[in-house]
Amino acid sequence: MKREPTADALGVHERASATPVHEHVHPQALLGQAPEWAHGSLSLRAQQEWFAAIVSTPQTEPAPVDAESAARLVTPSAKLSSLERIDIYRRGYHARLIECLADDYPVLQHALGEEAFESLCRAYIARHPSTAPSLNYFGRHMAEFCLTQPLAEPGFAADLATLEWAIVLCIHAQTAPTMGLEDLAQVPPDRWPSVRFRVNPSLRILRLAYPVNAYLQGYRRGQSPVVSGARSTIVAVYRTGRSVWRLELEPTLVTLVEALAGGATLEAGLAQVQSLLADKTEQEGASMVSYCFQHSVSSGLFSAISL
Amino acid sequence: MANKFSLPNLGIGLGLRTAHYSAILEHKPAVDWFEILSENYLRTEGRPLDFLDQIADSYPVVMHGVSLSIGSTDPLDRQYLTELRALRDRTNARWVSDHLCWTGVAGKNTHDLLPMPYTEEALAHVIARTRAVQDFLGAPLALENPSSYAEFASDSMREWEFLGRLAEEADCALLLDVNNVYVSSRNHGFDPLTYLNAIPFERVVQVHVAGHTDHGTHIIDSHIGPVIDPVWQLWAVAHQRSGGVPVLLEWDAEIPSFQETHAEALRARSFMGTTT
Repeated sequence: MKREPTADALGVHERASATPVHEHVHPQALLGQAPEWAHGSLSLRAQQEWFAAIVSTPQTEPAPVDAESAARLVTPSAKLSSLERIDIYRRGYHARLIECLADDYPVLQHALGEEAFESLCRAYIARHPSTAPSLNYFGRHMAEFCLTQPLAEPGFAADLATLEWAIVLCIHAQTAPTMGLEDLAQVPPDRWPSVRFRVNPSLRILRLAYPVNAYLQGYRRGQSPVVSGARSTIVAVYRTGRSVWRLELEPTLVTLVEALAGGATLEAGLAQVQSLLADKTEQEGASMVSYCFQHSVSSGLFSAISL
Repeated sequence: MANKFSLPNLGIGLGLRTAHYSAILEHKPAVDWFEILSENYLRTEGRPLDFLDQIADSYPVVMHGVSLSIGSTDPLDRQYLTELRALRDRTNARWVSDHLCWTGVAGKNTHDLLPMPYTEEALAHVIARTRAVQDFLGAPLALENPSSYAEFASDSMREWEFLGRLAEEADCALLLDVNNVYVSSRNHGFDPLTYLNAIPFERVVQVHVAGHTDHGTHIIDSHIGPVIDPVWQLWAVAHQRSGGVPVLLEWDAEIPSFQETHAEALRARSFMGTTT
C-alpha cells in the first residue's frame, strides 16, 4: 500500500499559438462536394462555416469540398493549390487535438500503440469536438468513449483512461495542507469517538475492474508492462502540494475513508470497518484498523480534524 | 516614441512554459518579464495557478490568449471574457493580447488560429467586437497578426491594410509578430517590409519573435528552434520604428533548457540598432 508519485501530466506539448508540425498518420483527404449554399457571393458567416466544416472533417469521411469549389473559397499560392492550403489547417486541427489527448493519456497511448491511439483520438475528436476556450478538459470523455470503440481490450483501456483522467483532474483541483499523525496526538482521548475529519479536497477514489495502476506504475518505471485480465482494484488519486499520488486501497481502508469523507465520526467509521472484520480475532481486527487509519493519515488523505 | 497607450517597455521577455516552471522558481533568473498563455490558467483551481501566482509575484506578466476568436461570427463568449478579466486582475497582467483570427464557429473551437477573409464586412465585424472587448476589459486589447497559410478568394485588401484600419478604427493596440510577418510573406509572396511600412507603430505595444519550419512549399509557424536572422532583422526594424518596444520569444515545441531559451531571447539585443 505504498503511495506512488505520478510524473507531471502536463507540459509535453504547449497548448499555444504555434502550429504543430508533427505529421500524424493521415490518409489523403477524401473529397466530397461543396454544400449547395456555397455558391456565389459568400457572407463572412458562410465562409467560416464552410472553412470549419472542411477543416474538422475526419480523414475517413469526404470533406465538403473539391478542387473546383476550393478555389472559390481560398486562392492558390505559387506552390500550393487551394485544396493543399486548406489541408494545412485540416492537418493542424487534428494534430493539435491529438497532441492534447496524448498529453493527458500517455500511458493509454503506450498501451494501445501509436496507430491505434491516433485512430481512437480521431474518432474522439469527431464525436466530442471542443466547445470550450481552454483545452484543460477536452479529454474528459475518453474513458466512456473507449467502451464504444473497437479496441482489443476496451475495458482495460477505459479503466486506464479513468485513472489518467483522475490524475489530470487532481492537477487542476484544489488541495489543502495535509494533517499528520502528530495532529492526532493533540486530540484529548475523551474526544476521539466524536472526532471528524476533512478529506483532502483533491481526493478521488476509483473502483477499477482491471489492474491499470500496476500497468501505469510499470510504465513510469520504464518497464514493459503487459495488458492483463480483469482484477478489481481500488485506487485513491490525490494531490499534496505539487505532487499527485496514487495509492491502492484495501477494502477496509476504503470503507473508513469513505465513511469519514461522508461526515461520519471516527467512532462510526471504525464501526463500519469492524463489520468487515468478522472473521478476525479482536486483536487482529484492532491491529488492522489501527494500521489502516494511521496509513491513511500519513499518506495525506486527510487535511484536518474537526473536534 | 512611446506607444500611444503609455504601456511600459518591459524589455526582453519569454513565453512562460511549463517545462521551465521549476528552473524559474528555483533559480529566479533575471528575466525582464513573462508572457503567459491565458487559457492554460482558466478553469483550473490547481497546480497551474499555484505556479503562476508565484511567478507573477516576482516578475511582470502579460496575458496572451488563443481563444478570444475576435473574428468569429459567433457571439462573444462573455463567460470567457469574465474569466480573462479575473485572471488579469489576479496576475496584475500589464496588458491582454490575442490574435486577429477566428478559432471556431457554431459553438465549436478548433483551437487553431484560422485566417480571416480581408473584406469590408469582416473589418466592420472585427472593429465592433474589438471595441466591445475593450469596453468589457476596461483597457486596450492588443491584437496580433497571425501566421497564415491561406488567403480567401473574397479578399478585397491585404492583411496589413486590414490590420492598420482595424487598429485605427477600433482604437486598439497591436502585438506585431515579426516571425508571422515573415512566414506569411513567404506563404503569400509579399515583401515583409511592405507589411512593416503600413504598421502604425505608435500602436505597437509588443513584438513577438519565434522559430518556424520551412517545408519548401510553405512555412509553418511551429515555434521550434532559434530565430533566423531575417526575422531578427525585422525585429530591428520594429525596434527602430517604434522607438523601443518589448520583445518576446515564443518557443513551444522541442523546448530546450531555460538557459538556452533565455539566451536565444537575449539575442534581441545584438540586433538593436542594426537598421538605419
